[in-house]
Amino acid sequence: MSKIIDIKDLSYVYLPGSPYEQQALKNINISLNQGELLGLFGGNGSGKSTLAKLLNGLIYPTGGQVTVCGIDTNIKELRHDLWKKVGLVFQYPEQQIFESNVYDEVAYGPRNLGLSESEVKTRVFEALDRVGIFPDSMVNLSPVKLSGGVRRRIAIAGILALEPEVLVLDEPMAGLDPLGQNLMLEIIKARQEKKTQTTIIISHNLKDILALADKIAILERGALVFHGEVQELLSKIDILSQFRLELPDYLQVAYALNARGIKPNNDIKNINEAGLELIRIISGGKGKL
Amino acid sequence: MNGHGIQLINVGKEFKNPDSYKAALTNINLTIHEGEYIGILGLNQSGKSTLARLLNGLLKPSLGRILVNGMDVDSSEQIREIRQLLGIVFQNPDNQLICPVVEEEIAFGPENLGLSPSEVNKRVSWALEIVGMQDMRYHAPHLLSGGQKQKVALASVLAMEPSYLVLDEPTSMLDPVSRWEILEHLRKINKENHITIILISHNPEDLLDANRLIVLHEGFIYMQGTPREVYADMEKLTAIGLKPPGLYQLIQQLEEEGYGIDDNTSTIPQLVEKICQK
Amino acid sequence: MNEIKLGQYVHGNSLIHLLDPRTKIICCILAVIGILSNHNFWYLLFLLGLILTGIKCSGIPFSSFWRSMRGIRYLLLITFLFQAVLTQGEAVFQLGALSVTQEGLMIGLINLLRLVILFLGSIILLMTTTPMKLSAGLEFLLLPLNKIKIPVQYFTTIISISFRFIPTLVEESITIKDAQRSRGAHFDSPKILTNLKSYLAILIPLLASSLLRAEDLAEAMDSRCYTGNPNQYRMRNLKYKAVDIYLIIFMAVALLVGLVIT
Repeated sequence: MSKIIDIKDLSYVYLPGSPYEQQALKNINISLNQGELLGLFGGNGSGKSTLAKLLNGLIYPTGGQVTVCGIDTNIKELRHDLWKKVGLVFQYPEQQIFESNVYDEVAYGPRNLGLSESEVKTRVFEALDRVGIFPDSMVNLSPVKLSGGVRRRIAIAGILALEPEVLVLDEPMAGLDPLGQNLMLEIIKARQEKKTQTTIIISHNLKDILALADKIAILERGALVFHGEVQELLSKIDILSQFRLELPDYLQVAYALNARGIKPNNDIKNINEAGLELIRIISGGKGKL
Repeated sequence: MNGHGIQLINVGKEFKNPDSYKAALTNINLTIHEGEYIGILGLNQSGKSTLARLLNGLLKPSLGRILVNGMDVDSSEQIREIRQLLGIVFQNPDNQLICPVVEEEIAFGPENLGLSPSEVNKRVSWALEIVGMQDMRYHAPHLLSGGQKQKVALASVLAMEPSYLVLDEPTSMLDPVSRWEILEHLRKINKENHITIILISHNPEDLLDANRLIVLHEGFIYMQGTPREVYADMEKLTAIGLKPPGLYQLIQQLEEEGYGIDDNTSTIPQLVEKICQK
Repeated sequence: MNEIKLGQYVHGNSLIHLLDPRTKIICCILAVIGILSNHNFWYLLFLLGLILTGIKCSGIPFSSFWRSMRGIRYLLLITFLFQAVLTQGEAVFQLGALSVTQEGLMIGLINLLRLVILFLGSIILLMTTTPMKLSAGLEFLLLPLNKIKIPVQYFTTIISISFRFIPTLVEESITIKDAQRSRGAHFDSPKILTNLKSYLAILIPLLASSLLRAEDLAEAMDSRCYTGNPNQYRMRNLKYKAVDIYLIIFMAVALLVGLVIT
């Protein structure tokens, strides 16, 4: 597996030297292989959105090194092309739609790449297809008239059409209802199954990330407090119990039982297994019922 | 005035413009008593936001009548009284704060009710205290986090001393910690200040504190009952794309295996307690 | 995270900060009347001296005023040059076909002074007065216009909402700009048309979200019984102190003296 993202001793300071100076990130070390999905979790002011901007060259490190797809962002001449490699989907991306029809909106990025119009068309149709929008019936519609969830998927298609090697999604689930959230999960999972495309999901919702990610990074006030595989995180009860409210119900139950001296099995992966484990505990820990 | 509470009698709402984001409602009959904590669950386009806007006259029903403490919401003479009695907190924390300073924001409603500056001042302090935002009194709203903004929005409605508080997706744009804080405040406001809560959400986990749950689907009342009753019917919920909260899925799984969990179990610590007792 | 913007409030406890907002607004208006009604060079210099004293008292470093002056330096330069060249009179020296006259230099200098006074006066008002106090002061002073059926409270509501939303809009435009840059938008392309299109990609979403926001705001205001009555609560903290009265009398006398001199 090849390393696609390598962050070494990264730090970032806002407005250095001014009275508003503020350390947003300090000593961050993260690496990610091609095809992996990283969940980046943190609360308000943890620096997770700053990290996203560093990855696609909107801002540059004030210390350390960020290497993405082999490009060192400290090299001035190269970082302007980072947007072609790293697709960044901002929070509430539907608010950035500006073209008068769906086709042009999705085509905006590919056209900026300087592709031929026939190539642009292929990319637009593919991208729309990938976000579950049937292109033929939709391309001529005005985005204004579509619902929020559909608009968000169009905005994501606008980034997918750039065919980025790394896709960064900032709070993709925010504000969506359960149906919209499921659709978003499917889009992300489909990308994950290809095994060649790397994805980073930034969220303040640990639940969403736990269900999807291969690796997890937890940021707190600009510092990295955990970076590793999901299974490893699940065994670190001391870290997870700080985020009690952000865990799925079944893990909350398991940890609460743990705190009372009843040790549930450590490798519960979903709610069904949790239910079976509870039944096992109640029936006296005698294994199968 | 004849009696307290909210009554919806054969209420229907249609929109002429089919492009509208707003969803229609059909044949809604509902009585809400003072002091209740009502949860309204539904996906987008289920009509739940339309329902919120009908309750205080922002929208007029196409059919039927809505009475708040016996006053018809359709009558323009009593609309100010109704809006004082029934406050609404909206979804987007950024788009419902009007004033450049937190203090003024909370004073906005009481000020419009024509209260004296000293009374307004008293209410501002009181409302800020309820949501624990005293320190932010002189802050500018744009410097607050989403959760803090939503608490200011809540305080600014409370300062009007309403009897009914309607919240339209107040947590859907917030992080889990802020969401939990808002729900905690609602629980307290309902218990201690005896304000009726009508909480609208698409997230089943938001509505665990409700004593009555109403599920809306495509403009109709699809299910009704206590959260326990509604969330026990997994099949009916999943048919419209909703899923019971994890807690109730676990309870359901235990019950199916013959381990009864009694009806007033509605939080994780309660469930853990029950398991430990077995 | 931006640097201090032009005219943004700077917190402080100076004499100027503590003046009643109405005093500051009235003094600014008096100064404006002064500079418009009088073109005596020494009188204008006197007014400039007053404003510089005000800046000194405010405790805000001169450098931040100097920096904001740079924003209008071309305006000042053009005003001066036009007056110097276009005024008839005794030529001092020739600039090609144009002759710079003595009268022109004087009038140019006077107009330059007027602009500087106007600019510094309004900047110091904004930098030492919170938006809340400013709108309270404006609302109070405009209130009498209600008697002649001018709906003053609507203007002050608009001002207040602007103070509330300008920072939000700025933030939003930065985010949208970043988002469009991530899709390859150029903002510094040598082709004007490309830049124009990129800026449209910011403006259109900004406009769309503002319309949506306006709708939401209207609902929130209606729900809280907005009537458009003057905001008594906002005005409750307005209190004239002795120093306010003295300052207004002083400015009024200075204006009168100025008028008499002409």
